[in-house]
Amino acid sequence: MQINDVVIIGAGPAGLSAAIQCRENDLRVTVLDEFPKPGGRLLGQLHQEPTGEWWNGIEETKILVDKAEKLNTDIRCGVSVHHIEKLEDHFVVHTNKKNFPAKNILIATGAAETAAPIPGWTLPGVMSIGAAQVMTNVHRVSVGEKGIVVGVNVLSAAIARELQLAGIDLHSMALPARNAVSEDQANPRLVMERLVRIAHLAPSAFIKFGSKFAKFKFVQNIALQFFPKGGVKMWDMPIHLRKAIKEINGTDKVESVTMVDVTVDGDIIRGTEETIPVDFVCIAGGLYPLAELAAVVGVPFQYSEELGGHVPIHNEAMETSMKGIYVAGNITGIESAKVAREQGAVAGLSIVKNTLQNATVDGKLKVAINNVKATREAATIQFHPRIEEGREKVTTAFNQLT
Amino acid sequence: MQHLIICRCEEVSLKDLEETAKKFNCTARELKLRTRAGMGFCGGRTCRPAVDKVLTDLTKENPTDAIPLKVSPPVRPISLSDLGGKASDD
Amino acid sequence: MTTKRIVNHPVLGKLEENKKITFTFDGQSYDGYENDTIASALLAHGIRTLRKHEESGNPRGIYCNIGHCYECRVTVDEVSNVRACLTPIKENMVIESGKVQPSPLDPKNEGDLPRTYDEFIRSEEQKKNANK
Repeated sequence: MQINDVVIIGAGPAGLSAAIQCRENDLRVTVLDEFPKPGGRLLGQLHQEPTGEWWNGIEETKILVDKAEKLNTDIRCGVSVHHIEKLEDHFVVHTNKKNFPAKNILIATGAAETAAPIPGWTLPGVMSIGAAQVMTNVHRVSVGEKGIVVGVNVLSAAIARELQLAGIDLHSMALPARNAVSEDQANPRLVMERLVRIAHLAPSAFIKFGSKFAKFKFVQNIALQFFPKGGVKMWDMPIHLRKAIKEINGTDKVESVTMVDVTVDGDIIRGTEETIPVDFVCIAGGLYPLAELAAVVGVPFQYSEELGGHVPIHNEAMETSMKGIYVAGNITGIESAKVAREQGAVAGLSIVKNTLQNATVDGKLKVAINNVKATREAATIQFHPRIEEGREKVTTAFNQLT
Repeated sequence: MQHLIICRCEEVSLKDLEETAKKFNCTARELKLRTRAGMGFCGGRTCRPAVDKVLTDLTKENPTDAIPLKVSPPVRPISLSDLGGKASDD
Repeated sequence: MTTKRIVNHPVLGKLEENKKITFTFDGQSYDGYENDTIASALLAHGIRTLRKHEESGNPRGIYCNIGHCYECRVTVDEVSNVRACLTPIKENMVIESGKVQPSPLDPKNEGDLPRTYDEFIRSEEQKKNANK
């Protein structure tokens, strides 16, 4: 039985760039992913940068995969990891195919979508916004004839645009109606605050969109009070902050949604129900770090709203407090694929350094850590405005542990 | 008005959670065990944040840095034949 | 083949012509392309419902489309609980939708079966006594 130097769980931007670093230093590496092709959620991404250039996830993935393949990296798709077991001097990764023993593990499992439950959301035709993205851009199958996006945030706006590009008809984007779970996402004040905060750094159409609010920045309340009945249009698609989806209707599949007007605080205004025929609904509740494998192997956690939820405690070198377990990408906090890619390089170099006891890697590692910071600062799409605070919180927690 | 389902796998509604919390005056963990919210096929991956939110509200327990409701292996359902050695070590 | 494929895309370009693959879903024959998942191939034919909730019978389709939610599980070549969103279609694949299961907790299905070992022992003793 051969023990790997490292098993990397997740073949997204973080996992792949870590694998490249490890292979360049001749470590024995296996990359596992349960999706049929490598790339993770990078595959579906497609947006225009402020420079006008397109960020095409399929092309970006190809660059990483080509590089990894040239280095003879063992990438296995269609493999689901269900447990990581810690033994005396190594780990065993349990999967649906076979067990992989390894001295080091990089957990790069990305994020999962936060659900925004609304009545009727189990009907066929209701899907997460990420599901629609993958179906449209990766599988190239249209998700329906006419749909609506529930939840207004940076991720849902970007994907709504991707659906439009593919010729899919969207009625609008609206908030989820307030219920026991939706709180913040159903609050027009908070949603607008977040949108205005991202407007200055986002791609062209976002800037236009944001500036419509930015004029009112000192009187955001007034902007909300006089929010146009037809919504504010972005790429000709209405975005509603004063309308919410209360219910999804249909017997065997989605037939319509019930839309209501809401106050600036998100309270439903009685008697404003309107039925809108649609055959699909995309629910956009945001993302949270998918860290279950770190939890089962016993890595300690820190909660950080800024990072999107509970994250495994780690340092700048992407080491967790458990020797041999590393993390990179969205499992460490919700950020862009570019940041994930740089974090992956850091994790890879850390594993190389600790495995080969090679001080010459030190310089490279420092550069890689700085690249993460530089990429973060230059990010055009930021999921949380106070990401740095969250990062500091986790680093402090790491230092207290070790 | 339809029920607001929180956990899709086990079809646990908000009403189920509220009524159980009231009847048994229970902790978050007990509430989860009684209703099976978050304990279905997906292992709570879909509804975890929603269940955490509802349980925190209902039980008034403060969220901590530890993951609120324990994660146990296997984190993906696995058949007994796969677990029992069909999946070999090579 | 229906027209639910996104054939032309202003940025991603024209859809590559892939090899055609034939499979069955609930006994009916469909075609899809190589690299399709079960979920994408069926949605291209307008099929959204992939299973019924095992207890309530409520219909379900894809929700997350990346293997997290397990809502799309179907039976593939007699292997149950396979995620349609992660499984590539193969020639002559036999796919069955997820069905309602008999519920052991429903009093209607309980019959006279003992529920605990104690009950089992008692019922065995009763049987013995009755035979005396």
